[in-house]
Amino acid sequence: MSFSEYVISRWDTLSLAAAEHAMVVAVAIAIATVIGVGVGVLTHGVPRAREASIAVSAAILTIPSLALLTLLIPLTGLGWGSTLLGLTAYAFLPIIRNTVTGLRGLDAATVEAGRGMGLSRPRLLLRVQLPLAWPLILTGIRISTQMLIGIAAIAAFVDGPGLGNQIFEGLSRLGSVNSLNATLAGTLGIVIIAILFDVFFYVVRHLTTPRGLRVRP
Amino acid sequence: MTADTIAARRARPLRRLPFGTRVLFTPVAIAVVLVALYAWVSTLELDSIEQRSLNRAVIVAKTIEHLEMTLAATALVVVIAIPLGVAASRATNRLIAPVILTVGNLGQAVPCIGLLVLCTFLMGVGFQTALVGLVAYAVLPVLRNTMVGVQQVDPALIEAARGMGMTRGQILRRVELKLAVPAILAGLRTALVLTVGVATLGAFVAAGGFGELIINGLKLNRMPVTIVGGVLTACIAFFIDWLGGLAEDLLKPRGM
Repeated sequence: MSFSEYVISRWDTLSLAAAEHAMVVAVAIAIATVIGVGVGVLTHGVPRAREASIAVSAAILTIPSLALLTLLIPLTGLGWGSTLLGLTAYAFLPIIRNTVTGLRGLDAATVEAGRGMGLSRPRLLLRVQLPLAWPLILTGIRISTQMLIGIAAIAAFVDGPGLGNQIFEGLSRLGSVNSLNATLAGTLGIVIIAILFDVFFYVVRHLTTPRGLRVRP
Repeated sequence: MTADTIAARRARPLRRLPFGTRVLFTPVAIAVVLVALYAWVSTLELDSIEQRSLNRAVIVAKTIEHLEMTLAATALVVVIAIPLGVAASRATNRLIAPVILTVGNLGQAVPCIGLLVLCTFLMGVGFQTALVGLVAYAVLPVLRNTMVGVQQVDPALIEAARGMGMTRGQILRRVELKLAVPAILAGLRTALVLTVGVATLGAFVAAGGFGELIINGLKLNRMPVTIVGGVLTACIAFFIDWLGGLAEDLLKPRGM
């Protein structure tokens, strides 16, 4: 069976696996964004807390993914639970770091002007600081997403959802019919998902960047 | 793990702590974890299956396999990526640089497990297959950092070196490469940590390493074996990252 025949005949399985793959990454990124941006906002002004949060999230990223995912099994079992928890943990560093960098890199005069206009601290944050730091935060989210798409392939080993299952299926039936097709379908499918997510972030970035920030060298 | 992410850890928060604390924190923490792991395993009553994996001979063998894979791959990466990176940074090859950057970014999207399994179709299972997969995966960050590192050297400094009568080879060796050392080392450290992680996947293609403990434990439903494999992998990753940090501090040219 040629590769194209394989993809056509298994389209249902493949498209479901691809959808699940994108889904689990999207959910993990959503959770990590809420927590990561929150941590970044709360800690960016406090040197010790800021450094601690970045150190902890960097340490998580040093742990090899197969190790982290399997170590989660006793806590959250096989499947979606461990996958989501593991992926979310890996996503923190780029998001927290970029939030902190973005908020700290703001022009002090702009923030001062906002304060001078009588904005309360929450409003200053929502209407001045976060919008200005947004392009950098979004870059952090994008980096995390690209990373998670690759790691999610390994999650198939702990019974997680997604295209990684195709790769492991190919591996376990090495040499038999369709094993190469399954592996190729899994790998290429993941690359396609990564490209689609990148395009998505490009569009989001274009649509959500404050107008005053768009014209930049 | 993308290269950007790990490379960013160069801005190490611990840098503010006194030198001794910063250098000793990681090894002490690793030692504590290992002692705790040992104590925990020795309280368990291991059955015969677990005993076959959790004994000194196996653990030592897996450690050696894992380190061999990591170090061999890193050595190959150094030999391949640094000359290529320097070549790509030369003025005559300026057109290649954007190509490398694009391929590098796209290459990050290829999942490492997919790459390893595809290598297996080409060359069968074993150590060499894992090595090829690891090298293919780790070459890009080092190549990119070398290229960027050499390119970002202040042109005025090169001009000054030329004015002092240095030949092009001397400028490369004594000015450009020296100033690019921090960037190159950062890329290498990234590659090392990546490689330690991906080397666990080497077990899927029968190349051994700690991944074998993780996989066997899971397949045989012996959680202690998996946990020992996982904790040891994490410890070795932290240790290598720590060594990389030390190397960065020690090898940085004076005056930078």
